Amino acid sequence: MHDMLEAFRLVAAPDVLIAIVASAVYGLVVGSLPGLSATMATALLVPVTFYLSPIAAIATIITASAMAIFSGDIPGCLLRIPGTPASAAYTDEAYAMTRKGQAELALGAGLWFSAIGGIVGTISLVVMAPLLAEMALSFSTYEYFWLAFLGLMCATLVARSSPIKAIASMLLGLLFACIGMENPAGTPRFTFGMTDLLGGIEPIPALVGVFAVSEVMRAMVTPEPPKLPDRKFGSILKGQWGLTKKYQWPMWRGNIIGIIIGVLPGAGADMAAWVSYAMSKKWSKEPEKFGTGHVEGLVEAGASNNASLASGWVPALLFGIPGDTITAIAIGVLYMKGLNPGPTLFTERASSMYALYIIFVLANIIMIPLGILMIRMASKILRAPRSSVMPVIILLCAVGAFATGANLFSVLAVGFFGCVGYVMERNGYPVAALVLGIVMGSMVEQNFITSLIKSDGSPLPFVERPVSAVLASLTLGALLWPAGVWVFNRLQARRAAA
Amino acid sequence: MQLSDRTTGLFLAGLGLAAAWGGSRLPAVPGQDVGPAAFPMLIGGGLIMCGVMIAFGIGHSFEVPDAEEGERHSTAYGLRALVPPGLLLFYVLAVERLGFMLTAAVIVATAAFALGAKPKLAVPLAIGAPIFVHAVFAKLLRVPLADGILPAFW
Repeated sequence: MHDMLEAFRLVAAPDVLIAIVASAVYGLVVGSLPGLSATMATALLVPVTFYLSPIAAIATIITASAMAIFSGDIPGCLLRIPGTPASAAYTDEAYAMTRKGQAELALGAGLWFSAIGGIVGTISLVVMAPLLAEMALSFSTYEYFWLAFLGLMCATLVARSSPIKAIASMLLGLLFACIGMENPAGTPRFTFGMTDLLGGIEPIPALVGVFAVSEVMRAMVTPEPPKLPDRKFGSILKGQWGLTKKYQWPMWRGNIIGIIIGVLPGAGADMAAWVSYAMSKKWSKEPEKFGTGHVEGLVEAGASNNASLASGWVPALLFGIPGDTITAIAIGVLYMKGLNPGPTLFTERASSMYALYIIFVLANIIMIPLGILMIRMASKILRAPRSSVMPVIILLCAVGAFATGANLFSVLAVGFFGCVGYVMERNGYPVAALVLGIVMGSMVEQNFITSLIKSDGSPLPFVERPVSAVLASLTLGALLWPAGVWVFNRLQARRAAA
Repeated sequence: MQLSDRTTGLFLAGLGLAAAWGGSRLPAVPGQDVGPAAFPMLIGGGLIMCGVMIAFGIGHSFEVPDAEEGERHSTAYGLRALVPPGLLLFYVLAVERLGFMLTAAVIVATAAFALGAKPKLAVPLAIGAPIFVHAVFAKLLRVPLADGILPAFW
């Protein structure tokens, strides 16, 4: 009880409340601008979090990401351009509703079910995390190694790309993480005599480069999206309660799928939305209406992507393994603020954890009034030309990177990773896998080398303990799954030809 | 910058080879079988395998074709993508001498013009954005931004 009261006191601090409101507005605006993802919004916030209190810093990440995920629905619905990848799954459906004159219903469904999804996801975080934390207290380096490896494999498994390219991206990330002296032996590796590289590659400049600079680079060579015509909206929430009652099963299914996908390391809100939209269509009583402007898919996928956002914090808080790219950034902030992820976080810093839950709920509640305001102002904000937004973003990338350590080398790193991200995306290499490799590299190596030293080089102890055996089989399954699918498809094709 | 799978695959295989070779030359830790070389060599091996498979087109069937990104442009037009990293490089080289305000103004104006902005948008943006960013980062967050030849007026 004392911890809970302390948590309320932490959240009620003026700096935290200001951070929540300011990051909510920021997340809503950035998320609504086509091409600017929730991850990018979060990555650009990190330099600012350096100067905030731990709770205010975490509050900005949670609030901005939740708002940006919802806000991505707005241009998707009005312009058929998803603001964030998490909205892409149901953009056509939402736009079809707008063309039928139901823009308010589509936007209202996005807002209402995003808020519900976010709150249900938070409840799952509250329930699951402490239970898993107790279990995780008995984990040794073997389990942590397999868990981290499984996280990396899941990221490659869910990538909408060639699994070989996804694994290569992940390995590239791990290779970047090898740079510097932060290895179990403390030996400088791949520094090429540069003192700036001795400390290793910081995840934040890499994230800002991969997600923000590469987006500005893409904007340089792609045409400007069409302008939104000026329009007035009717009541946004009208009819949402009716939809909640009518589609309660799809809504709950979306929440549960979102939670499960969020907990999977590496799979985020966009994957949750795609899976939920597909399931909604498959299990619907009216599948023929999908694609013609039917709200059911929006209900399920809208709830799903926001539910995954909260549950993605479960592996991040417990094991330091990111549930998605946003929590990959959040882990960096947690370490920076002395809230080192791990099961002991729930026992030693319980009040901070409760504060985090409260912020999640608060963010999803204020999403409704602020979201309505954002929808009403959308026609003004979406008319901002790209040539006025992108130059400011590139300036923020430079200053933000510099602010992380008052070091100009970070600005160079941001530019380098921008080029890497741009080239990779253009050639079908998923950048999320690269980011996970960079973030988790030292953790994987630390646990791998420590386990090898403990086992005297023998591989047997890696699979002797029951939990590590289960995790090892899951990891190998994830590794071999694409090969299995490939062989199955080949056999099917051969049978069809015969 | 669209490259063939063969090119990217061979590049990755080469990088893997270099990582494994570089790793193998790292000094061992006295009294231990496993040292700092193990992980880079493992990653290098993995990259070589993946690179070779990508070069041979294995796994290509899993790829989801990208949505068409508008009309195709010439290579010279494609080079515009290098403007943002070029501007970041300019920031590194110029900020200590010119100061934040001037450097930021040049960056914002160049990026805006490269994106097709007219002077009536680019010029006010190049004046206003550096002032705003300086106010937030230098005044509010106390980030030591260089004054150079044109310090902020506050």
